[in-house]
Amino acid sequence: MTDKNEIVIALLGQPNSGKSTLFNGLTGLRQHVGNWPGKTVEKKEGSFTHGDKKYLVADLPGTYSLSANSDEEIITRDYIASGKADVVCILADSSQLERSLYMLSDFAGIEVPCFLLLNMSDVAKDQGKDINAKEMEDKLGIPVVLFSAPEVKKYDSFYTALEQAVDGKTVLDTSSLEKKFRDIPEYSEIRNTIGDYKDGNRTGMWLAVKALEGDEPVTAKIKAELGNEKASELSSVLSKCDKGIVKAGECKFAWIDELTADSVRKEKKDAGLGKFDRLITHRIWGKPVVVLTILLGLLASFIPALPLMGVGSAIASATAPLNDALLGIGCPSFIAALLCDVFLRCFSFVIQMLGFVFGVTLVFGLLEEIGVMARISYVFDNSMGKLGLQGKSVMPFLISFGCTMGGAAGTRVIDSWGQKVLTIALSWAIPCGAAWAVVPMLSTLFFGAWTPVIITVILIVMILHMWLTAKLFGRSLVKPSERCGMIMELPPYHKPKWGSLFRFVFGRTKDTFFRSFKVVLIVAVVFWLLSFTSTGTAGDSILFKVGHVIEPVTMVFGMKWQTFVAFIASSLGKEGALGVLSTIFSGTGSITIGSMQSADKAANLNELLLANITKPEALAFIFAITFNMPCIVALAATYQETHSAKWTAIIGSYYTATALVLAGIAYHIGMLIW
Amino acid sequence: MQELLELLKDGRSRSTKMIAAELGKPVEIVERDIEFLERTGVIRRIEFSMCGSCSGCSTEDGKKTCPGCMPQDGFKNMGVMWEIT
Repeated sequence: MTDKNEIVIALLGQPNSGKSTLFNGLTGLRQHVGNWPGKTVEKKEGSFTHGDKKYLVADLPGTYSLSANSDEEIITRDYIASGKADVVCILADSSQLERSLYMLSDFAGIEVPCFLLLNMSDVAKDQGKDINAKEMEDKLGIPVVLFSAPEVKKYDSFYTALEQAVDGKTVLDTSSLEKKFRDIPEYSEIRNTIGDYKDGNRTGMWLAVKALEGDEPVTAKIKAELGNEKASELSSVLSKCDKGIVKAGECKFAWIDELTADSVRKEKKDAGLGKFDRLITHRIWGKPVVVLTILLGLLASFIPALPLMGVGSAIASATAPLNDALLGIGCPSFIAALLCDVFLRCFSFVIQMLGFVFGVTLVFGLLEEIGVMARISYVFDNSMGKLGLQGKSVMPFLISFGCTMGGAAGTRVIDSWGQKVLTIALSWAIPCGAAWAVVPMLSTLFFGAWTPVIITVILIVMILHMWLTAKLFGRSLVKPSERCGMIMELPPYHKPKWGSLFRFVFGRTKDTFFRSFKVVLIVAVVFWLLSFTSTGTAGDSILFKVGHVIEPVTMVFGMKWQTFVAFIASSLGKEGALGVLSTIFSGTGSITIGSMQSADKAANLNELLLANITKPEALAFIFAITFNMPCIVALAATYQETHSAKWTAIIGSYYTATALVLAGIAYHIGMLIW
Repeated sequence: MQELLELLKDGRSRSTKMIAAELGKPVEIVERDIEFLERTGVIRRIEFSMCGSCSGCSTEDGKKTCPGCMPQDGFKNMGVMWEIT
């Protein structure tokens, strides 16, 4: 009761239980909003009159429980403990009573008149739930009202319950709940230690449960009140408590389930797994199905790529006529060459690549959007264990299919440094978005219809690579430890939102276009200048001379010096390789300085590449750039996340070395085939 | 809930539906237990940040990532993962 003779009602409920709607419905415009003293939490009070009585309503912050985990919870429970409220109105969401009644069970043991408002009863009814409030009332000993807060005209039942609670001082019956608590040995011990101690309106039961839950403020208060001897007795009991909070929670939920078992009738729903879920969770078929899904997704992504490849090579074939035309109008030969040989060729390459970017982004975006990607992460969870990693490493890996930098950043959730470094090390083996554009493009160029086979082999090699790398680095990075499984809430399948999906895909493709074009162009200009000679004979340039010197060594890995240089450039970013190819090969024997006529050069760069690189060499090159370090920025990201120059260097050189070894193997296998 | 925690000790991850099926409980009850365990800090929700090159993005609600990072608008439908703390 306030000094203005108002009866104080405290509204208690979890977030979204409809407290604010009720508060507004009751008080209308007679509200006062401020802050709780010393806190940034909003304090809302309002008043209303019903019959001849005046009421003050305190809208307490919406909290999950009455623990001391947040400012909101502390404010709420301190307010109730202070005894300021004459009556507490506890709100629960009727449509999900089994969880929202937790507040009531956590309140149990505080001796303040109260009543229970089962809000959103209309929603529960629509769900086919039939709630018997009268039966609950009998069990709880307090008024229980089925209610719908937005229907202000139907507040009569609320007012009746309110008056009942105030006049009858109805206190929640906790005997059946306490009986459950008593079954926990630790609870009984605490309860016996506390004895008859009460703290204002908080009973021994409430205090004992909070102590069992490990609630520090409550425990400290009890200890201070009980005196030294009892306090140390309590400490020794509490030190033996294991998972007290879970045990107490189980009792509360069991009590709620008993309460609702008889009083709530609902239609049974089938909660079985869907067809696809059953398939992918199958012990034997799960992984093959998922790998096949990824593979088919990758192959499907090539469909939109092929037309753009055509457009790209058409652009490339325009270089020669354009060169002639430019020379014809008196354009300086140097500029004409730069425009045609460098700019236009790079543009052609990037266009050819872009279709793959579009396709891969679309397919993976779609898989994610419809909910398949989350299931992929589920399926590979156990494989992570075999690599010595936690299940959550699967997410950085999935992100690495897009961008290794993102994957490295994704490892921030991994607490153990060793596991983090290992995850990053393995994520390097996963071809990133740029690789998924450059590699299929080159494969299509060299191997045509055999591209799907090449892509499949790359995926298999990727898995083997990761497994081997895990074995190699795992020993020094990860100690064997107990592993707990994760809980996953798989998203429901839903139809893709095509609009937002295409916006995403086009956005990504556009970004990639500008970024790749920049990388390709810079690399191309640098190498064009390096191979530029005043005599017009490319063979005289330093680059070519050095190239010929190193070629005996690079051929061990199946790469001519030109492809080897392209491999080195791919360390900057996979697209870098295209920059090198577009200049060096156009220059084999005929580096153009504009003065030369187009008749001397092959018209099409694609044809030039095919003429100069044999199939085994192409295979070696494809493997070399696929498994080379992702890009220079990924190297920086690795250092940023691992904070270890040593491990960044180890990972960097390891990948350069393995890429060369894989290229060598691919070359020799290629020699056997072709 | 102790049953649920016990179940995960074998190292295998499970979806809420699978847990429900294995424990013979309705999914809503499993979801309620998960909520409780999360609120009380027994399990922890895994929050992924996507972006590596820039420090100013992606942390708060995972919505903002820099254009260099895949996926810019993606990975919203990956469900939720919890681990035992």
